[in-house]
Amino acid sequence: MKKLQIASLAILVVAIVWFCLLEAGTLSSLQSGLLAILSPITRSGGAVKKSISGIGKDLMTLEQLQKEYDRILAENRRLRAENSGLRDLQTDNDHLRQVLGYRERSAFRLIPAAVLGHDAGTWWSTIKINRGSKDGIAVDMPVITDRGLVGKTTAVSSDVSEVVLISDENCKVAAKVEGTKEQGISGGARDTAGELHLTFLSKLADLQPGQKVYTAGVSGGIFPSGLALGTVKSFHARELDGEAILEPSADLGDLEEVYVVTGAK
Amino acid sequence: MRHTLLFVILILLLPVSVAMQDLLPAIPVAQARIQILPVLFCFAMLALPLLPALFFALATALVQGLVLLQIQAGQSELGLTLPIVFFIAWAIVLQMSSEATHGMRWELHAFGSALVTLTLLGGEFLVLCIKRGGFPLDMSVGLRIIVPALVAPFLAPALYFMLRALVPLSPDAGPVAAQPSFKR
Repeated sequence: MKKLQIASLAILVVAIVWFCLLEAGTLSSLQSGLLAILSPITRSGGAVKKSISGIGKDLMTLEQLQKEYDRILAENRRLRAENSGLRDLQTDNDHLRQVLGYRERSAFRLIPAAVLGHDAGTWWSTIKINRGSKDGIAVDMPVITDRGLVGKTTAVSSDVSEVVLISDENCKVAAKVEGTKEQGISGGARDTAGELHLTFLSKLADLQPGQKVYTAGVSGGIFPSGLALGTVKSFHARELDGEAILEPSADLGDLEEVYVVTGAK
Repeated sequence: MRHTLLFVILILLLPVSVAMQDLLPAIPVAQARIQILPVLFCFAMLALPLLPALFFALATALVQGLVLLQIQAGQSELGLTLPIVFFIAWAIVLQMSSEATHGMRWELHAFGSALVTLTLLGGEFLVLCIKRGGFPLDMSVGLRIIVPALVAPFLAPALYFMLRALVPLSPDAGPVAAQPSFKR
């Protein structure tokens, strides 16, 4: 019995030393393996969470139902009236788009994904999505919503991926401010949850609250140019540069559906 | 036999606890996140004998280290060394506490869970301050460390009694060590 204990202890010590000496590449592969193990639990848990949160949403009193019915009826009438006018506009719009080639220049190839959950790490802002290498996702792909940039993929298993959010201190994004020549680097901070800090601006930038900030799309970078990043909340000059606090365009605390940008169309 | 069964159940619960804590919403206070892994770890350290406890500590460190792994410019930010040192150190401390109290008690589990959560989050914050620079310790950061640690003792009894019901470990303690006696 004692021999068995000594052998077990020796195995434990060897395992500890081996794990401590692993390099980043091996650790990354191990992380993908762990994601694959967690994937069925996370996916089924996400489905359960969605159905549970749906229960409360669906329950209404008779009075609320009547109000909802009246609202929908009124909205239906308004939409039908609008729709007839919009058909003409749609035709014009399609024609103009074709002429300008707007779609060809600005659209991306997108893979829709559902958010399975926010990671519980306190100092890191990451989420898991239900798409992986099977769907064509790879590491360092931008993730967006219809409202703006969300983050980038950092770890990918066959059917689940991890996305680091732009509010994470490690997710740096080159950004430019609407209506100015100001460019800076945006990232999260440990002491503020959810806000972005846009640094390396000119001290004289004098940005105003409400100004929009977009990705700058530096060459060789991950994020394409022109994605909405956030809105300026405040600006202050520091010793060497200016810093703006941004409210992210996408609601990072309430993400349900996102799109992974796999390339340009 | 019971300890082997408990060890297997706890190992299976490791990924479940990680997935569960990811699915739970943030606590509104400072967007703090509920931590289940330290509560499970603490139970395992008090309930298992020394060697299985050390193996479980290693497994917990691997899971925690890999979940938080971020590769920056080809280098991992935390790696596995720090989580391994942290969980092995706590494994030894909790094993000693378990022996000192002649077996596991739910109060000890609750208190231990709070301490492990507090030191885990505080330790992560300190390491990040050293690695990334700066020491932005303010009320918001403090709450994000303290609130999950305060929640842990409330989660601990639920896990404790569920696992004790699942795998009844003989009396509320382990075997009581023989007391030294001077009688002939």
